[in-house]
Amino acid sequence: MHIQDILPPMHAIGWAVASAPFVIHGARAVTREVRENPESRLLLGAAGAFTFVLSAIKLPSVSGSSSHPTGTGLGAVLFKPPVMAFLASVVLLFQALLLAHGGLTSLGANIFSMGIAGPWIGYAAWRLLRGVGTSVAVFFAAALADLATYVVTSFQLALAFPDTAGGLGGAFVKFASIFAITQIPLAIVEGLLTVLIFRVIRDVARPELIRLGVISAASPAEQSATQQSASTTEALR
Amino acid sequence: MSARGLALDTAAWASPWRTRRVLDKAILALGLLGCAVALPPWPGGVAAGVSALVILLGPGRVPARLLARCMSAPAVFVIIGAATVMVSVWWDAGPRIGLASSQSDLALQILVRGISGALCAFVLATTTPMVDLFAALRRARVPDPLIEVASLTYRLIFVLLDSARAIREAQDARLGYTSRAASYRSLSSLSAAILVRSWTRARRLEDGLAGRGYVDALRTLDPPVRASRVFIASSLVLVAAIVCLALLPGYLPAGTLPSILRGS
Repeated sequence: MHIQDILPPMHAIGWAVASAPFVIHGARAVTREVRENPESRLLLGAAGAFTFVLSAIKLPSVSGSSSHPTGTGLGAVLFKPPVMAFLASVVLLFQALLLAHGGLTSLGANIFSMGIAGPWIGYAAWRLLRGVGTSVAVFFAAALADLATYVVTSFQLALAFPDTAGGLGGAFVKFASIFAITQIPLAIVEGLLTVLIFRVIRDVARPELIRLGVISAASPAEQSATQQSASTTEALR
Repeated sequence: MSARGLALDTAAWASPWRTRRVLDKAILALGLLGCAVALPPWPGGVAAGVSALVILLGPGRVPARLLARCMSAPAVFVIIGAATVMVSVWWDAGPRIGLASSQSDLALQILVRGISGALCAFVLATTTPMVDLFAALRRARVPDPLIEVASLTYRLIFVLLDSARAIREAQDARLGYTSRAASYRSLSSLSAAILVRSWTRARRLEDGLAGRGYVDALRTLDPPVRASRVFIASSLVLVAAIVCLALLPGYLPAGTLPSILRGS
Protein backbone atom coordinates (compact mmCIF):
# COMPACT_ATOMS: atom_id res chain seq x y z
CA MET A 1 0.00 0.00 0.00
CA HIS A 2 1.50 3.27 -1.12
CA ILE A 3 0.28 6.56 0.31
CA GLN A 4 -0.41 9.10 -2.46
CA ASP A 5 0.07 12.87 -2.06
CA ILE A 6 -2.70 13.08 0.53
CA LEU A 7 -0.77 13.65 3.76
CA PRO A 8 -1.02 17.09 5.43
CA PRO A 9 2.25 19.03 4.85
CA MET A 10 3.48 18.75 8.45
CA HIS A 11 2.99 14.97 8.43
CA ALA A 12 4.77 14.65 5.08
CA ILE A 13 7.72 16.66 6.43
CA GLY A 14 7.70 14.78 9.76
CA TRP A 15 7.93 11.35 8.11
CA ALA A 16 10.63 12.59 5.73
CA VAL A 17 12.66 13.80 8.73
CA ALA A 18 12.09 10.46 10.51
CA SER A 19 13.26 8.46 7.47
CA ALA A 20 16.25 10.65 6.58
CA PRO A 21 18.77 9.24 9.11
CA PHE A 22 18.02 5.66 8.06
CA VAL A 23 18.34 6.49 4.36
CA ILE A 24 21.56 8.46 4.89
CA HIS A 25 22.99 5.62 6.99
CA GLY A 26 22.01 3.19 4.22
CA ALA A 27 23.51 5.43 1.54
CA ARG A 28 26.79 5.58 3.48
CA ALA A 29 26.75 1.79 3.88
CA VAL A 30 26.24 1.44 0.11
CA THR A 31 28.99 3.97 -0.67
CA ARG A 32 31.46 2.20 1.66
CA GLU A 33 30.54 -1.22 0.24
CA VAL A 34 31.00 -0.01 -3.35
CA ARG A 35 34.36 1.67 -2.58
CA GLU A 36 35.64 -1.55 -0.95
CA ASN A 37 34.21 -4.04 -3.47
CA PRO A 38 33.46 -2.31 -6.77
CA GLU A 39 31.80 -5.48 -8.10
CA SER A 40 29.05 -5.27 -5.45
CA ARG A 41 27.76 -2.17 -7.22
CA LEU A 42 26.18 -4.33 -9.90
CA LEU A 43 24.84 -6.81 -7.36
CA LEU A 44 23.09 -3.96 -5.54
CA GLY A 45 21.69 -2.56 -8.78
CA ALA A 46 20.38 -6.03 -9.59
CA ALA A 47 18.80 -6.26 -6.13
CA GLY A 48 17.02 -2.93 -6.61
CA ALA A 49 15.71 -3.96 -10.02
CA PHE A 50 14.58 -7.31 -8.60
CA THR A 51 12.64 -5.58 -5.81
CA PHE A 52 10.95 -3.32 -8.37
CA VAL A 53 10.02 -6.20 -10.68
CA LEU A 54 8.76 -8.28 -7.72
CA SER A 55 6.25 -5.54 -6.93
CA ALA A 56 4.97 -5.81 -10.52
CA ILE A 57 4.16 -9.54 -10.12
CA LYS A 58 0.55 -10.27 -9.21
CA LEU A 59 -0.10 -12.79 -6.43
CA PRO A 60 -3.17 -15.00 -6.43
CA SER A 61 -4.83 -14.33 -3.10
CA VAL A 62 -7.16 -16.32 -0.90
CA SER A 63 -9.89 -13.68 -0.92
CA GLY A 64 -9.91 -13.51 -4.71
CA SER A 65 -8.45 -10.03 -4.93
CA SER A 66 -4.94 -9.69 -6.19
CA SER A 67 -1.95 -8.03 -4.65
CA HIS A 68 1.78 -8.09 -5.09
CA PRO A 69 4.66 -9.15 -2.83
CA THR A 70 6.50 -6.32 -1.08
CA GLY A 71 9.79 -8.20 -1.22
CA THR A 72 11.13 -6.24 1.75
CA GLY A 73 11.56 -9.34 3.95
CA LEU A 74 13.63 -11.21 1.37
CA GLY A 75 15.65 -8.06 0.69
CA ALA A 76 16.38 -7.55 4.38
CA VAL A 77 17.52 -11.18 4.81
CA LEU A 78 19.76 -10.99 1.72
CA PHE A 79 21.20 -7.47 2.01
CA LYS A 80 20.61 -6.35 5.67
CA PRO A 81 18.21 -3.51 6.60
CA PRO A 82 20.54 -0.46 6.18
CA VAL A 83 21.26 -1.30 2.54
CA MET A 84 17.58 -2.12 2.07
CA ALA A 85 16.61 1.37 3.34
CA PHE A 86 18.58 2.92 0.48
CA LEU A 87 17.45 0.40 -2.16
CA ALA A 88 13.81 0.79 -1.08
CA SER A 89 14.10 4.59 -1.38
CA VAL A 90 15.37 4.24 -4.95
CA VAL A 91 12.65 1.70 -5.79
CA LEU A 92 9.91 3.88 -4.23
CA LEU A 93 11.14 6.89 -6.24
CA PHE A 94 10.96 4.77 -9.40
CA GLN A 95 7.49 3.54 -8.47
CA ALA A 96 6.34 7.14 -7.93
CA LEU A 97 7.79 8.40 -11.23
CA LEU A 98 7.40 5.34 -13.50
CA LEU A 99 4.20 3.69 -12.21
CA ALA A 100 2.55 6.62 -10.35
CA HIS A 101 2.35 4.38 -7.25
CA GLY A 102 2.80 6.62 -4.24
CA GLY A 103 3.38 10.35 -4.26
CA LEU A 104 6.50 12.49 -4.13
CA THR A 105 5.42 14.39 -0.99
CA SER A 106 4.56 11.14 0.82
CA LEU A 107 7.88 9.54 -0.17
CA GLY A 108 9.20 9.91 3.39
CA ALA A 109 6.17 8.15 4.88
CA ASN A 110 6.35 5.35 2.30
CA ILE A 111 10.11 4.90 2.87
CA PHE A 112 9.43 4.64 6.60
CA SER A 113 6.82 1.88 6.23
CA MET A 114 8.37 -0.09 3.35
CA GLY A 115 12.07 0.66 3.58
CA ILE A 116 12.61 0.87 7.35
CA ALA A 117 9.85 -0.72 9.49
CA GLY A 118 9.25 -3.75 7.23
CA PRO A 119 12.91 -4.68 6.67
CA TRP A 120 13.94 -4.22 10.32
CA ILE A 121 11.05 -6.33 11.65
CA GLY A 122 11.65 -8.98 8.98
CA TYR A 123 15.38 -9.02 9.78
CA ALA A 124 14.68 -9.31 13.51
CA ALA A 125 12.42 -12.33 12.84
CA TRP A 126 15.15 -13.89 10.65
CA ARG A 127 17.84 -13.45 13.33
CA LEU A 128 15.59 -14.72 16.16
CA LEU A 129 14.28 -17.80 14.35
CA ARG A 130 17.35 -18.78 12.32
CA GLY A 131 18.23 -21.35 14.99
CA VAL A 132 14.81 -23.02 14.63
CA GLY A 133 15.22 -23.62 10.91
CA THR A 134 16.01 -21.66 7.79
CA SER A 135 12.56 -22.15 6.23
CA VAL A 136 10.71 -21.10 9.41
CA ALA A 137 12.90 -18.03 9.74
CA VAL A 138 12.46 -17.05 6.08
CA PHE A 139 8.69 -17.53 6.31
CA PHE A 140 8.29 -15.28 9.34
CA ALA A 141 10.79 -12.71 8.03
CA ALA A 142 8.77 -12.29 4.82
CA ALA A 143 5.29 -12.52 6.35
CA LEU A 144 6.00 -10.19 9.28
CA ALA A 145 7.84 -7.66 7.10
CA ASP A 146 4.85 -7.58 4.75
CA LEU A 147 2.34 -7.24 7.59
CA ALA A 148 4.42 -4.65 9.47
CA THR A 149 4.50 -2.45 6.37
CA TYR A 150 0.69 -2.38 6.25
CA VAL A 151 0.28 -1.85 10.01
CA VAL A 152 2.68 1.12 9.87
CA THR A 153 0.84 2.53 6.83
CA SER A 154 -2.47 2.26 8.72
CA PHE A 155 -0.90 4.05 11.68
CA GLN A 156 0.45 6.82 9.43
CA LEU A 157 -3.00 7.35 7.88
CA ALA A 158 -4.73 7.24 11.29
CA LEU A 159 -2.30 9.85 12.63
CA ALA A 160 -2.99 12.10 9.64
CA PHE A 161 -6.77 11.61 9.61
CA PRO A 162 -8.03 10.86 13.15
CA ASP A 163 -11.66 9.80 13.46
CA THR A 164 -14.11 12.45 14.73
CA ALA A 165 -15.90 9.93 16.96
CA GLY A 166 -13.23 7.32 17.73
CA GLY A 167 -10.10 9.54 17.72
CA LEU A 168 -6.70 8.08 16.83
CA GLY A 169 -7.63 4.57 18.04
CA GLY A 170 -10.85 4.48 16.04
CA ALA A 171 -9.07 5.70 12.92
CA PHE A 172 -6.31 3.10 13.37
CA VAL A 173 -8.88 0.28 13.74
CA LYS A 174 -10.60 1.56 10.61
CA PHE A 175 -7.51 1.81 8.38
CA ALA A 176 -6.01 -1.38 9.82
CA SER A 177 -9.19 -3.36 9.13
CA ILE A 178 -9.13 -2.19 5.52
CA PHE A 179 -5.41 -2.52 4.81
CA ALA A 180 -3.75 -4.71 7.46
CA ILE A 181 -6.35 -7.39 8.25
CA THR A 182 -7.15 -8.03 4.60
CA GLN A 183 -3.38 -8.28 4.17
CA ILE A 184 -2.95 -11.21 6.61
CA PRO A 185 -3.70 -13.92 4.00
CA LEU A 186 -1.46 -12.11 1.52
CA ALA A 187 1.33 -11.90 4.10
CA ILE A 188 1.05 -15.68 4.60
CA VAL A 189 1.17 -16.18 0.82
CA GLU A 190 4.24 -13.96 0.57
CA GLY A 191 5.85 -15.92 3.40
CA LEU A 192 5.24 -19.28 1.70
CA LEU A 193 6.35 -17.94 -1.66
CA THR A 194 9.54 -16.49 -0.18
CA VAL A 195 10.39 -19.88 1.38
CA LEU A 196 10.05 -21.47 -2.08
CA ILE A 197 12.10 -18.66 -3.69
CA PHE A 198 14.77 -19.00 -1.00
CA ARG A 199 15.04 -22.78 -1.60
CA VAL A 200 15.51 -22.28 -5.32
CA ILE A 201 18.14 -19.57 -4.72
CA ARG A 202 19.95 -21.82 -2.23
CA ASP A 203 20.13 -24.55 -4.83
CA VAL A 204 21.06 -22.35 -7.75
CA ALA A 205 23.04 -19.44 -6.32
CA ARG A 206 24.77 -20.82 -3.23
CA PRO A 207 28.09 -18.98 -3.83
CA GLU A 208 26.27 -15.61 -3.92
CA LEU A 209 24.46 -16.38 -0.65
CA ILE A 210 27.73 -17.34 1.04
CA ARG A 211 29.36 -14.16 -0.23
CA LEU A 212 26.47 -12.11 1.18
CA GLY A 213 26.87 -13.91 4.51
CA VAL A 214 23.28 -15.18 4.48
CA ILE A 215 24.35 -18.81 4.93
CA SER A 216 27.68 -19.96 6.28
CA ALA A 217 30.28 -21.53 3.99
CA ALA A 218 29.56 -25.14 3.20
CA SER A 219 30.79 -27.82 5.59
CA PRO A 220 32.90 -30.64 4.03
CA ALA A 221 29.82 -32.85 3.73
CA GLU A 222 28.08 -30.17 1.71
CA GLN A 223 31.07 -29.45 -0.54
CA SER A 224 29.93 -31.87 -3.21
CA ALA A 225 26.46 -30.34 -3.12
CA THR A 226 28.00 -26.92 -3.69
CA GLN A 227 29.97 -28.15 -6.66
CA GLN A 228 26.86 -29.80 -8.01
CA SER A 229 24.84 -26.59 -7.63
CA ALA A 230 27.67 -24.63 -9.22
CA SER A 231 27.45 -26.88 -12.24
CA THR A 232 23.67 -26.42 -12.22
CA THR A 233 24.25 -22.67 -12.31
CA GLU A 234 26.55 -23.10 -15.26
CA ALA A 235 23.98 -25.28 -16.99
CA LEU A 236 21.28 -22.67 -16.41
CA ARG A 237 23.33 -20.05 -18.14
CA MET B 1 1.23 -3.10 -14.98
CA SER B 2 4.58 -2.99 -16.67
CA ALA B 3 2.98 -1.55 -19.77
CA ARG B 4 1.80 1.45 -17.75
CA GLY B 5 5.30 1.97 -16.35
CA LEU B 6 6.80 1.80 -19.79
CA ALA B 7 4.08 4.16 -21.05
CA LEU B 8 5.05 6.89 -18.55
CA ASP B 9 8.70 6.32 -19.41
CA THR B 10 8.02 6.40 -23.15
CA ALA B 11 6.12 9.67 -22.72
CA ALA B 12 9.15 11.13 -20.94
CA TRP B 13 11.56 10.14 -23.73
CA ALA B 14 9.24 11.49 -26.43
CA SER B 15 8.38 14.71 -24.60
CA PRO B 16 8.96 18.02 -26.41
CA TRP B 17 10.24 19.31 -23.04
CA ARG B 18 12.92 16.65 -22.80
CA THR B 19 15.66 19.13 -23.78
CA ARG B 20 14.64 21.63 -21.13
CA ARG B 21 16.89 21.83 -18.09
CA VAL B 22 15.80 19.46 -15.29
CA LEU B 23 16.01 22.29 -12.75
CA ASP B 24 13.51 24.39 -14.75
CA LYS B 25 11.02 21.53 -14.93
CA ALA B 26 11.56 20.61 -11.27
CA ILE B 27 10.78 24.20 -10.18
CA LEU B 28 7.50 24.11 -12.10
CA ALA B 29 6.45 20.59 -11.03
CA LEU B 30 7.47 20.84 -7.38
CA GLY B 31 6.04 24.36 -7.06
CA LEU B 32 2.68 23.14 -8.34
CA LEU B 33 2.93 20.03 -6.14
CA GLY B 34 3.54 22.22 -3.10
CA CYS B 35 0.43 24.25 -3.96
CA ALA B 36 -1.65 21.09 -4.42
CA VAL B 37 -0.64 19.66 -1.06
CA ALA B 38 -0.24 22.70 1.19
CA LEU B 39 -3.05 25.01 0.06
CA PRO B 40 -6.70 24.49 1.01
CA PRO B 41 -8.35 22.28 -1.64
CA TRP B 42 -10.64 25.05 -2.92
CA PRO B 43 -9.56 27.07 -4.83
CA GLY B 44 -5.79 26.46 -4.41
CA GLY B 45 -5.61 22.67 -4.74
CA VAL B 46 -8.01 22.55 -7.66
CA ALA B 47 -6.19 25.41 -9.42
CA ALA B 48 -2.85 23.58 -9.11
CA GLY B 49 -4.37 20.37 -10.50
CA VAL B 50 -6.07 22.15 -13.39
CA SER B 51 -2.87 24.06 -14.26
CA ALA B 52 -0.92 20.79 -14.27
CA LEU B 53 -3.54 19.18 -16.51
CA VAL B 54 -3.46 22.10 -18.96
CA ILE B 55 0.36 22.01 -19.04
CA LEU B 56 0.41 18.24 -19.61
CA LEU B 57 -2.16 18.25 -22.42
CA GLY B 58 -1.01 21.57 -23.93
CA PRO B 59 2.75 22.25 -24.20
CA GLY B 60 3.64 18.84 -22.67
CA ARG B 61 1.72 17.09 -25.49
CA VAL B 62 0.93 14.00 -23.40
CA PRO B 63 -1.84 11.97 -25.11
CA ALA B 64 -5.07 12.13 -23.08
CA ARG B 65 -5.58 8.34 -23.20
CA LEU B 66 -2.10 7.75 -21.83
CA LEU B 67 -2.74 10.25 -19.04
CA ALA B 68 -6.02 8.56 -18.15
CA ARG B 69 -4.26 5.17 -17.98
CA CYS B 70 -1.52 6.58 -15.76
CA MET B 71 -4.10 8.16 -13.44
CA SER B 72 -5.95 4.89 -12.79
CA ALA B 73 -3.53 3.54 -10.16
CA PRO B 74 -3.32 6.68 -7.97
CA ALA B 75 -7.06 7.29 -8.39
CA VAL B 76 -7.88 3.87 -6.87
CA PHE B 77 -5.59 4.48 -3.87
CA VAL B 78 -7.00 7.96 -3.29
CA ILE B 79 -10.64 6.88 -3.55
CA ILE B 80 -10.10 4.03 -1.04
CA GLY B 81 -8.44 6.51 1.36
CA ALA B 82 -11.25 9.08 1.01
CA ALA B 83 -13.96 6.41 1.42
CA THR B 84 -12.27 5.14 4.59
CA VAL B 85 -12.31 8.61 6.12
CA MET B 86 -16.05 8.88 5.46
CA VAL B 87 -16.70 5.80 7.64
CA SER B 88 -16.45 6.36 11.37
CA VAL B 89 -15.54 3.70 13.97
CA TRP B 90 -15.96 4.28 17.69
CA TRP B 91 -16.43 2.35 20.94
CA ASP B 92 -19.78 2.59 22.70
CA ALA B 93 -20.29 -0.59 24.73
CA GLY B 94 -19.09 -2.48 21.69
CA PRO B 95 -17.61 -1.44 18.37
CA ARG B 96 -19.84 0.89 16.35
CA ILE B 97 -19.53 1.73 12.70
CA GLY B 98 -21.32 4.62 11.06
CA LEU B 99 -21.15 7.04 8.17
CA ALA B 100 -19.57 10.32 9.25
CA SER B 101 -21.09 13.12 7.20
CA SER B 102 -19.00 15.61 9.19
CA GLN B 103 -15.90 14.06 7.62
CA SER B 104 -17.03 14.77 4.06
CA ASP B 105 -14.87 17.93 3.93
CA LEU B 106 -11.82 15.90 4.87
CA ALA B 107 -12.69 13.20 2.32
CA LEU B 108 -13.03 15.87 -0.38
CA GLN B 109 -9.69 17.34 0.68
CA ILE B 110 -8.03 13.91 0.30
CA LEU B 111 -9.58 13.46 -3.15
CA VAL B 112 -8.43 16.88 -4.39
CA ARG B 113 -4.94 16.57 -2.89
CA GLY B 114 -4.38 13.06 -4.19
CA ILE B 115 -5.57 13.74 -7.74
CA SER B 116 -3.93 17.16 -8.18
CA GLY B 117 -0.76 15.90 -6.46
CA ALA B 118 -0.48 13.04 -8.97
CA LEU B 119 -1.10 15.41 -11.91
CA CYS B 120 1.59 17.83 -10.68
CA ALA B 121 4.09 14.97 -10.25
CA PHE B 122 3.28 13.88 -13.83
CA VAL B 123 4.58 17.28 -15.05
CA LEU B 124 8.04 16.01 -14.05
CA ALA B 125 7.45 12.29 -14.70
CA THR B 126 6.21 12.69 -18.30
CA THR B 127 8.86 15.18 -19.39
CA THR B 128 12.07 13.93 -17.75
CA PRO B 129 13.55 10.46 -18.32
CA MET B 130 15.20 8.94 -15.23
CA VAL B 131 18.60 9.17 -16.92
CA ASP B 132 18.33 13.00 -17.09
CA LEU B 133 17.29 13.08 -13.44
CA PHE B 134 20.40 11.08 -12.48
CA ALA B 135 22.63 13.43 -14.49
CA ALA B 136 21.09 16.37 -12.62
CA LEU B 137 21.62 14.62 -9.26
CA ARG B 138 25.25 13.94 -10.21
CA ARG B 139 25.73 17.64 -10.94
CA ALA B 140 24.18 18.33 -7.51
CA ARG B 141 27.10 16.39 -5.96
CA VAL B 142 25.24 13.23 -4.97
CA PRO B 143 28.02 10.60 -4.49
CA ASP B 144 28.87 8.61 -7.63
CA PRO B 145 28.32 5.11 -6.13
CA LEU B 146 24.71 5.97 -5.25
CA ILE B 147 23.97 7.31 -8.74
CA GLU B 148 25.63 4.22 -10.23
CA VAL B 149 23.51 1.80 -8.18
CA ALA B 150 20.32 3.74 -8.98
CA SER B 151 21.01 3.97 -12.72
CA LEU B 152 21.93 0.28 -12.93
CA THR B 153 18.64 -0.47 -11.20
CA TYR B 154 16.85 1.59 -13.84
CA ARG B 155 18.65 -0.11 -16.72
CA LEU B 156 18.03 -3.62 -15.39
CA ILE B 157 14.30 -3.02 -14.72
CA PHE B 158 13.39 -3.22 -18.41
CA VAL B 159 15.43 -6.36 -19.05
CA LEU B 160 13.89 -8.08 -16.01
CA LEU B 161 10.32 -6.99 -16.82
CA ASP B 162 10.74 -8.49 -20.28
CA SER B 163 12.14 -11.70 -18.77
CA ALA B 164 9.28 -11.87 -16.25
CA ARG B 165 6.71 -11.45 -19.01
CA ALA B 166 8.34 -14.11 -21.21
CA ILE B 167 8.65 -16.63 -18.35
CA ARG B 168 5.05 -15.98 -17.27
CA GLU B 169 3.76 -16.57 -20.81
CA ALA B 170 5.76 -19.80 -21.07
CA GLN B 171 4.44 -21.01 -17.71
CA ASP B 172 0.90 -20.07 -18.68
CA ALA B 173 1.20 -22.00 -21.94
CA ARG B 174 2.25 -25.08 -19.94
CA LEU B 175 -0.82 -24.73 -17.66
CA GLY B 176 1.32 -23.33 -14.85
CA TYR B 177 -1.50 -21.23 -13.45
CA THR B 178 -4.46 -23.60 -13.62
CA SER B 179 -4.62 -24.39 -9.90
CA ARG B 180 -3.57 -22.48 -6.81
CA ALA B 181 -0.78 -24.93 -5.93
CA ALA B 182 0.51 -24.75 -9.49
CA SER B 183 0.48 -20.95 -9.46
CA TYR B 184 2.49 -20.79 -6.22
CA ARG B 185 5.01 -23.19 -7.70
CA SER B 186 5.18 -21.22 -10.94
CA LEU B 187 5.43 -17.86 -9.18
CA SER B 188 8.23 -19.03 -6.90
CA SER B 189 10.29 -20.38 -9.77
CA LEU B 190 9.52 -17.22 -11.77
CA SER B 191 10.75 -14.97 -8.93
CA ALA B 192 13.82 -17.08 -8.26
CA ALA B 193 14.66 -17.20 -11.97
CA ILE B 194 14.39 -13.40 -12.14
CA LEU B 195 16.67 -13.00 -9.13
CA VAL B 196 19.30 -15.39 -10.46
CA ARG B 197 19.04 -13.88 -13.94
CA SER B 198 19.52 -10.37 -12.52
CA TRP B 199 22.66 -11.57 -10.72
CA THR B 200 24.17 -13.29 -13.75
CA ARG B 201 23.28 -10.31 -15.97
CA ALA B 202 24.90 -7.95 -13.49
CA ARG B 203 28.02 -10.10 -13.28
CA ARG B 204 28.34 -10.31 -17.06
CA LEU B 205 27.86 -6.54 -17.31
CA GLU B 206 30.55 -6.04 -14.66
CA ASP B 207 33.01 -8.33 -16.49
CA GLY B 208 32.37 -6.63 -19.79
CA LEU B 209 32.71 -3.13 -18.37
CA ALA B 210 35.80 -4.01 -16.32
CA GLY B 211 37.48 -5.05 -19.55
CA ARG B 212 36.77 -1.57 -20.90
CA GLY B 213 38.27 0.19 -17.87
CA TYR B 214 35.14 0.73 -15.76
CA VAL B 215 36.49 2.11 -12.48
CA ASP B 216 34.21 4.55 -10.73
CA ALA B 217 31.34 5.79 -12.88
CA LEU B 218 29.67 5.09 -16.18
CA ARG B 219 29.63 8.59 -17.57
CA THR B 220 27.90 9.38 -20.81
CA LEU B 221 27.61 12.67 -22.64
CA ASP B 222 24.47 14.55 -21.68
CA PRO B 223 22.36 15.84 -24.57
CA PRO B 224 22.45 19.64 -24.88
CA VAL B 225 19.97 21.22 -22.49
CA ARG B 226 17.96 24.37 -22.92
CA ALA B 227 17.93 26.58 -19.82
CA SER B 228 15.30 29.28 -20.02
CA ARG B 229 14.88 32.22 -17.67
CA VAL B 230 11.51 32.96 -19.23
CA PHE B 231 10.38 29.41 -18.37
CA ILE B 232 11.50 29.72 -14.73
CA ALA B 233 9.95 33.18 -14.43
CA SER B 234 6.62 32.05 -15.85
CA SER B 235 6.64 28.97 -13.58
CA LEU B 236 7.18 31.19 -10.54
CA VAL B 237 4.46 33.60 -11.69
CA LEU B 238 2.02 30.71 -12.12
CA VAL B 239 2.79 29.31 -8.65
CA ALA B 240 2.55 32.78 -7.09
CA ALA B 241 -0.77 33.38 -8.84
CA ILE B 242 -2.19 30.13 -7.43
CA VAL B 243 -0.98 31.03 -3.92
CA CYS B 244 -2.56 34.52 -4.20
CA LEU B 245 -5.79 33.05 -5.53
CA ALA B 246 -5.92 30.71 -2.54
CA LEU B 247 -4.87 33.07 0.23
CA LEU B 248 -5.96 36.57 -0.80
CA PRO B 249 -9.71 36.30 -0.12
CA GLY B 250 -9.01 35.15 3.45
CA TYR B 251 -6.98 38.28 4.31
CA LEU B 252 -9.52 40.78 3.03
CA PRO B 253 -12.76 41.70 4.79
CA ALA B 254 -15.78 40.28 3.01
CA GLY B 255 -16.88 42.31 0.02
CA THR B 256 -13.63 44.21 -0.56
CA LEU B 257 -12.32 42.00 -3.34
CA PRO B 258 -14.82 43.09 -6.00
CA SER B 259 -14.16 46.78 -5.22
CA ILE B 260 -10.40 46.27 -5.53
CA LEU B 261 -10.95 44.55 -8.84
CA ARG B 262 -13.07 47.49 -9.94
CA GLY B 263 -10.10 49.72 -9.06
CA SER B 264 -12.08 52.11 -6.87
